[in-house]
Amino acid sequence: MLELIETFETNALEAAAEVRRIRATSTALRDEIEQTTKSAASIVLGAGEFLPASLMEPLGDLPGVLAAPTDDQLSKAEVGICGAFAGVACSGSVCVAMGPRLVAMTSLLMPFHIVLLSANRIVARPRDLFDPECFNGEGLRRNLVFITGPSATADMGPLVRGVHGPHRLRVLILE
Amino acid sequence: MPPATQPSKEITPRSVANKSDKRRLLDAIRMALDIQSPTIRRNTQTFNRAHYQATSLLPDYEALKNEARRIKEDSIARLPELVDQLRQVLEARGGHLFLATSAADACRYIRTTCVRHGAKLAVKGKSITTEEIRLNRALENAGIEVAESDLAEFIVQVADEQPSHIIAPALHYSQERISALFKRKFQTGLPLETGEELTQFARNILRQKFLRADVGITGANLIAADTGTLMLVESEGNIRMTSVVPSVHIAVAGVEKIIPTRREMAPFLELLAASATGQKLTSYTNFLSPPIDDPPFALSGKPRKNREFHLVLIDNGRFRMRDDPVFRETLYCIRCSACLNSCANFQTVGGHAFGGETYSGGIGGSWEAGTGRLQNARFSELCTGCSRCVNQCPVRIDIPWLNENLRDRLNREADPSVLSGTLTTLASAPEANEQAPPDKLFFGNYHWFAECASRFPRLANTFSKTKSSRWLLERLFGLDRRRALPAFPKETLVAAAARDFPSPVTNPLARVALFADVFTNYGMISRGLATLRVLRALNIDVVVTDSLPEGRAALSQGLIATAAEFARRAASLLDGYVKQGRDVVIVEPSSLAMFRRDARHLLEDSGQFERLRARSFEPVEYVVKLMRHLDRDAQSVFDVNRSPVGTRLFYHSHCQQKTIGCALSTEELLRSIGFDVVSSSVECCGMAGSFGYKKDFFELSMAVGEDLFQQVRRSEDESRPRALVANGTSCTEQLHAGLRRKVLHPIELLAAILRD
Repeated sequence: MLELIETFETNALEAAAEVRRIRATSTALRDEIEQTTKSAASIVLGAGEFLPASLMEPLGDLPGVLAAPTDDQLSKAEVGICGAFAGVACSGSVCVAMGPRLVAMTSLLMPFHIVLLSANRIVARPRDLFDPECFNGEGLRRNLVFITGPSATADMGPLVRGVHGPHRLRVLILE
Repeated sequence: MPPATQPSKEITPRSVANKSDKRRLLDAIRMALDIQSPTIRRNTQTFNRAHYQATSLLPDYEALKNEARRIKEDSIARLPELVDQLRQVLEARGGHLFLATSAADACRYIRTTCVRHGAKLAVKGKSITTEEIRLNRALENAGIEVAESDLAEFIVQVADEQPSHIIAPALHYSQERISALFKRKFQTGLPLETGEELTQFARNILRQKFLRADVGITGANLIAADTGTLMLVESEGNIRMTSVVPSVHIAVAGVEKIIPTRREMAPFLELLAASATGQKLTSYTNFLSPPIDDPPFALSGKPRKNREFHLVLIDNGRFRMRDDPVFRETLYCIRCSACLNSCANFQTVGGHAFGGETYSGGIGGSWEAGTGRLQNARFSELCTGCSRCVNQCPVRIDIPWLNENLRDRLNREADPSVLSGTLTTLASAPEANEQAPPDKLFFGNYHWFAECASRFPRLANTFSKTKSSRWLLERLFGLDRRRALPAFPKETLVAAAARDFPSPVTNPLARVALFADVFTNYGMISRGLATLRVLRALNIDVVVTDSLPEGRAALSQGLIATAAEFARRAASLLDGYVKQGRDVVIVEPSSLAMFRRDARHLLEDSGQFERLRARSFEPVEYVVKLMRHLDRDAQSVFDVNRSPVGTRLFYHSHCQQKTIGCALSTEELLRSIGFDVVSSSVECCGMAGSFGYKKDFFELSMAVGEDLFQQVRRSEDESRPRALVANGTSCTEQLHAGLRRKVLHPIELLAAILRD
């Protein structure tokens, strides 16, 4: 598993994502997010479907977190946080499963996306998630997006990171 | 549209998009060379390099291609059944499926759906299929604003141009030109110089469109029939915005995008990313089964509507393509653009010249003909058959074969000409291609001219240098007078070999039939003689065969019946030798490619093709194989100190030689002998057999060659030049034209440095 985590980290960095490995405790996670988002006025917290509720609950009262954001607030918020369905080592991608509360919007609308990934949900290659044996075959049923680094374009000449989707992607690997 | 005989006044991408009239093809090439070429070259070559890098990192690249091909073959075979299954799945989930027989039919359905929702603004993700059906115009005519949200599509929408590339529609635009375009169209004083500023500017405009749009329109890379899942690949986040933010989502896709199961999307994930942009995965790869279950999004003041999903599948000629034994293969295309990026001509002029109203590049002709008229595929003449796209295609489509077939069908529509009839009779060429234009018949039956000329070589050489003869050849056959013609040798290879090497080798290690291909037998015979010398030195018995055309030249001109007849005759000749236990060695790479690759389409006897494919070799490839077999060290056979051209080499392998996998062995052998070798990394020299000889394409051919010439210059410094080594006859001509230097074939070099 350690090898998968390291490969994931190398490839995610290459794709211009930020990666932090932290202990899977509510204090470590809360501290990390508080540090990273301290200048943000509006944070939207999406569901952490594949994480223990004990990790997610303490995030609700972080400064800046909107309790029940309206769509207008969503369209202007600065940071989106959600849990990942899986990580993909060979490409450094996080795979997000949409459906639960605000996961689609937090991984898309805000310029800064923080995604929480359990270390034991990293697979070697994207196709592994299409195996019915993997994670109870959920990869074959859910609405998914494989996210590899921040949104990017080369249409305006040089490579520019930060287009319609998030400009900054930070992956917190919870070990 | 300007009439055929009048030169068009102002040439714009739109004015030359339809190339059913050849004049517009020539105008488009000029426009692209004048304005777009440096940007296209940089961008396509960046993609191409990334593609090679990314595919080399895929541990199971070849297996993934096989898997992808199998899935596509199966899908197209079962297409009607899959459409029915998909309809049931979607309807059970509350979605809608509409199978549009024509572009107009599709536009009508989408327009009606938008109007029913009172839509004022539709935001679009990138979809080339909606360009094919001209959807924007249909919606705009109904008073609906269409916002293209992919930045490249945004640029071409602002500029009112057609896409020049299937995944990067504004690939022909430099940053400077985008900046000038935006300043002019938006009348803004904002600083719009850097990539960041331009992106920010477009992003701000489009963010408001996403949030306010009534309808989102996307394409689909693949659709799974068992779950109704769309696979959507993108890097900017605009497709996510388009498919998730507006409540009404319409996906528009060619019907060929359906595959049986969601599980079978797996092999395409990495394969598509690597083949397209050369990434491990693109920034966003979406798997959506709409209508999605996320709550609808609405800014205050906008009604909150339930989510609604429509899948519009486009036939528009695709079921007809499915019934066509040749063009069915087009439907396997996953539109990755690898065939565009690996094409030397496309790298030089892009899709506004090498493309039609919607589709471009190697595969583009088949799409344009299949979804429109055959004449719209005339631009596919820019496919030289160099075959560099063949190994790059993730679903193994034989793209040159499709283009040769388009050419064949276009040839059959040409007006009958007296010259064509005369030529066919004189050359005793198959009557099946009698109707083809004279230039095609000339190049396709070059062996006949070569054979006639070889009877009186001095006369022919003198005649071919006179101004009047060059004028005549240009007028009759489009043979550009600026090109040097190959000189005919005093005697043919067959005659010279019979005189110089009359006796068989006793107790030979192996026995070989050296095929007297047209270009070696009537042209560069020293290459054939050098092959004889080297093989005999290795104790190989060599016989030289009769000289026959193998059909490669005819095939490249779209004379398929002629090519098939020539291939059958030559294959039967060579198969006779193989059955006697001889291996076949062929000097000219394109002739060899016929027996290793092309002939599988032309020979009825597949056993014969397989035999010849396994037993035909390029001379140096054969030498390497022998030395490996004998476990002999290269330096024990060859002595680098005997080299007449020094030890510094620049080696350019032939395009088809690379495709059939016998270029690397030459490089390795030369290095192991002790040469200092720099190899070209261009896909093709630009001459590509007859292509560069044609008056219509001379400038393009030289522009393509410029990459190669520059690589040679960069590999040298003034005091230390490199000797040029190349395999192909036409590559040799091209290198000579560009650099005015002598070029050696590697086997000639090897013959010169044999130890005693």
